[in-house]
Amino acid sequence: MVEVEKIREEARRLLQEGQVRGVIGYVRGPQGVWAVPAMIRNPEDVDRLVWNPTCVHNLVLFVVEEKKEQARQKEPDKRPLAVVVKGCDSRAINVLLQEKFIEREEVILLGVSCENSGVVDKKKLLNLVPSQKIEEIVYGNNGHIVAVIDGERRVFPPEEVLADRCLECQANFPVVYDHFFGEKIKKEAINTSPGVDKIEKMRLEERRRFWEEELSRCLRCYACRSVCPMCYCTECVVDPISFAVEPTTTAEEKAKKIKWIEKSPLLSENFVYHLVRAIHLAGRCVDCGECERVCPEDIPIRLLNKKLEREAWRLFNYVAGMDSQAPSLFSTFKETDPEDFIR
Amino acid sequence: MNSEHEPKIVAFLCKWCSSAGSDMAGVSRLEYPSNVIPITVMCSGSVSPLYILSAFNLGADGVLVSGCHPGDCHYIKGNMYARRRMALLKELLPYIGLEPERFQMSWVSAAEGLKFTQIIKEFVKQLKPLGPQTQLRRSL
Repeated sequence: MVEVEKIREEARRLLQEGQVRGVIGYVRGPQGVWAVPAMIRNPEDVDRLVWNPTCVHNLVLFVVEEKKEQARQKEPDKRPLAVVVKGCDSRAINVLLQEKFIEREEVILLGVSCENSGVVDKKKLLNLVPSQKIEEIVYGNNGHIVAVIDGERRVFPPEEVLADRCLECQANFPVVYDHFFGEKIKKEAINTSPGVDKIEKMRLEERRRFWEEELSRCLRCYACRSVCPMCYCTECVVDPISFAVEPTTTAEEKAKKIKWIEKSPLLSENFVYHLVRAIHLAGRCVDCGECERVCPEDIPIRLLNKKLEREAWRLFNYVAGMDSQAPSLFSTFKETDPEDFIR
Repeated sequence: MNSEHEPKIVAFLCKWCSSAGSDMAGVSRLEYPSNVIPITVMCSGSVSPLYILSAFNLGADGVLVSGCHPGDCHYIKGNMYARRRMALLKELLPYIGLEPERFQMSWVSAAEGLKFTQIIKEFVKQLKPLGPQTQLRRSL
């Protein structure tokens, strides 16, 4: 079991000794039991840190944000950041290391195991427990999730309440860390990706209809992009506003600016946006599932990432984020790469 | 499906091999369908998947990416990177419902004018029964 007190102790020590400029972790949120991310800068505040099955967020996003924030400072704080990482989050750190976006010394990783379980999908749980009167959610035995509702303990089996990605996860402990809390238990995935299987079995027209239905709901709010720790580009191809337009920019210059995708949420543009997004995350997506969680329209965005994850493994034997020293998927090649599709 | 439909193909040809190959077809007076819009790029490795999606978005019915044979790349290994990238895109497009025939890749050397014409002829033949590509086409 992960002992929260040990995480707090370590965080307190790091802050008191001034080794880190902050600890990014989970605290109990304003909505009762559901945890929210927090940046802890004072040793007195470390007692707010929690670790439970509601800690769904990928905190690596805030490492990226902090890095950008520090780059804007006149006198950046060079001290590292401590960050609580789950298995998937630690793989995200590996990808950032691989791409040299961050250096290893810039972060101190407080790895936590997911207790042979995972994190809770809020929607799934609230479907089973209509009341919002959940007082506490903790890990039980054998990956079960225990919710305390009105003083009564209710035990849920993992397949009922865990997030889909956790049911499909095969490495529910960090692969890179400085301090580790909990036990490393290799878990068998219940099914590596039933959603992708389902789509692959469809006929072409069915697939098109399926995606048309899903993607026609996309509002292009870009929440999936904002929440993704891998989408750290300062300028995005889908964002015409990122091209600087000054008072002196002539109409001709504006017309010449490359505009890859229209802003309006037309079906065709949504298709291109989501394909571009998926391709840009190929071999980088660690399946933290944040994009799907934040989608206000419940579009199954993970299915695109999962498909490319599967193909990267099938064609190139590549798994994202397992090794920070290995070259990334597209920065290398093998003589034996498949080319039967090329004429 | 409209069998009279004349498909529009956007072909990204690398400057050193495939573009020269299409030139070879021209100077050899080989005939091939006029459906293809050639765009010369410096290397097949410089073709971003975004170019291909954008071509479909702007009305292409088919997209061809063509580079040097493995080992012949002017930039030593650009085509090998392209091969990896395009392999994934090739899997992704049918996954969202686009006909797999609409995106193709080929190796055409500067001497293979005849191969270039054959590839285009076959591509057009495959695209005709599919009709116009509407899934990714911008509908403003």
